[in-house]
Amino acid sequence: MTVTIALPSKGRMKEDASAIFQRAGYTIATVGNDRSYRGRVEGRDDIEIAFLSASEISREIGNGTVDFGVTGEDLVREGLARADERVEFCARLGFGHADVVVAVPEIWLDVETMADLGDVAADFRARHGRRLTIATKYWRLTQQFFSGNHGIQLYRIVESLGATEGAPASGSADIIVDITSTGSTLRANHLKILSDGVILKSEACLVRARKESHDSDPVVAEIVAAVRGVL
Amino acid sequence: MPLINLPAFAPDLLAAFERLETERVDTPVIQPAEPFLDIAGEDLRRRIFLTQSETGESLCLRPEFTIPVCLRHIETATGTPKRYAYLGEVFRQRREGGSEFYQAGIEDLGTRDFALADARAVADAMSVLMTLLPGRPLTVTMGDQAVFEAVVAALGLPVGWQKRLVRAFGEQSQLEALMLRLASPEHVTGLSPEIEALVKTGDDEALVAHIDGVMQATGYLTNASRAPKDIARRLKDKLALAGASLDAAKLDILREFLSLNVSLRYAPGVLDDFAASTGLPLDAAVQAFDARVAAFANAGVKLSDITWRAAFGRPLDYYTGLVFEITMRGDHRVLAGGGRFDRMMSLLGAADDIPAVGFSLWLDRIEHAIEEGARA
Repeated sequence: MTVTIALPSKGRMKEDASAIFQRAGYTIATVGNDRSYRGRVEGRDDIEIAFLSASEISREIGNGTVDFGVTGEDLVREGLARADERVEFCARLGFGHADVVVAVPEIWLDVETMADLGDVAADFRARHGRRLTIATKYWRLTQQFFSGNHGIQLYRIVESLGATEGAPASGSADIIVDITSTGSTLRANHLKILSDGVILKSEACLVRARKESHDSDPVVAEIVAAVRGVL
Repeated sequence: MPLINLPAFAPDLLAAFERLETERVDTPVIQPAEPFLDIAGEDLRRRIFLTQSETGESLCLRPEFTIPVCLRHIETATGTPKRYAYLGEVFRQRREGGSEFYQAGIEDLGTRDFALADARAVADAMSVLMTLLPGRPLTVTMGDQAVFEAVVAALGLPVGWQKRLVRAFGEQSQLEALMLRLASPEHVTGLSPEIEALVKTGDDEALVAHIDGVMQATGYLTNASRAPKDIARRLKDKLALAGASLDAAKLDILREFLSLNVSLRYAPGVLDDFAASTGLPLDAAVQAFDARVAAFANAGVKLSDITWRAAFGRPLDYYTGLVFEITMRGDHRVLAGGGRFDRMMSLLGAADDIPAVGFSLWLDRIEHAIEEGARA
């Protein structure tokens, strides 16, 4: 059986992922020209490489159409319901760091914690005639964190597919849930992260689709061991 | 047009609703999604079936009846009191069972005698279930948010903390976490020395002016939902809350209250003893509770069929008083659930304050119970 690994198709993520596999003893080459979306591992006919976008990778692992993928934990947990039942996070790869955080306007001097935010959300309707709105592309993570961890039910999500940090100043939402690596974009937009508002500390991971056939496949075990061995 | 997948007992159900002198209403299956998400929260989004109109309006398949019935009442403006009955299909993903199923129920809008209306809702639900499941032993679990609110208020906590506790009522783990935090005072962190100094002077106008200035400078003012005075006011409230804590004795009282779980026959006595032994001023809440117990008896509900569980509630901001669930004795499946939702009508845009209480029946579970009974 051929084992398929999905790797990011461009940018830093592609280079960093290839470098780790190189160190683990798998030299990855594209099939055909440089822009091709198919690749192989030199000397290994039993491993196939598919170059996909990061969000496609999380979807394909969820479907089980690929065996492994390298992608951000945030995308996997946002994209898949009950992610831990469907995939295994085999290794954290040490690059692509990004925290998914709850951020509010800096000038909300009275809001430092999720409990403060809960108070504000509860009174919001009475004071402003509508629910508190959150701009985010992380629907699932936001719902789990607000309702599941903090018992905050009364808010509305406003979908935001880009420039989320600008939403509070432009008035399209009150607060945001977004990724940040250094926090500088948040600061530039006069937003602050709540003290207990880190939803997920994400980084690139080697993720395996949970398939029964993997239990008896030596190549699957070999890849996991080899990647773990060079971290 | 009769639907062929209606439960076989639907005619009995409709006859029962008529006997109970309710007005049967229907609502469209396709509903605007906004009111459901606004009232019940974003959690509902994952479970309802959403689509969009050609013009981009969010629409959903009717996930329940209460909101559509209330909206219809507001639109038709036919005056209160009104008791509406409904029977129809709803669409919602559940942990157990299919995603399209029938629900029926009664919503009582605008009856001002709360005890009477509460008792009638429970009595009606019981009588309908007894018609459909003759001879099967039923049991009611009830809770009362008003009593919890009274206990929390009587403990002398600042209003901000009372609101937090009331909001978590019905979510045991949230409530536990809050009580743990209440055991020791918290300190406010994250304020710059400049703000701390400003707050200390007690000069509200200077604080508001400072916030206003920062918002101007950062371009937040034009679109801000929370005005400088909102932020300043809550900052002061928060600083007042920060020092608040409950001593161990009072926390024990709160825990003791939440552990109360008795037959409604004994509940007034137990509540009385609780008030007397703790010395909390709960007279008004106890009176309302006792009035409801008396109304239950008048409505012909057997008090021995009802258990009052002090911690039973639903953590949504439109529930205000009674909540109840009916199951068969020794079975966990809820056949009927209901409660008082006095805030719903104003949240949905009603001009007047309209108290409301109602219940809905889970027809697929009832059907299942009937089949089980037939096999036994």
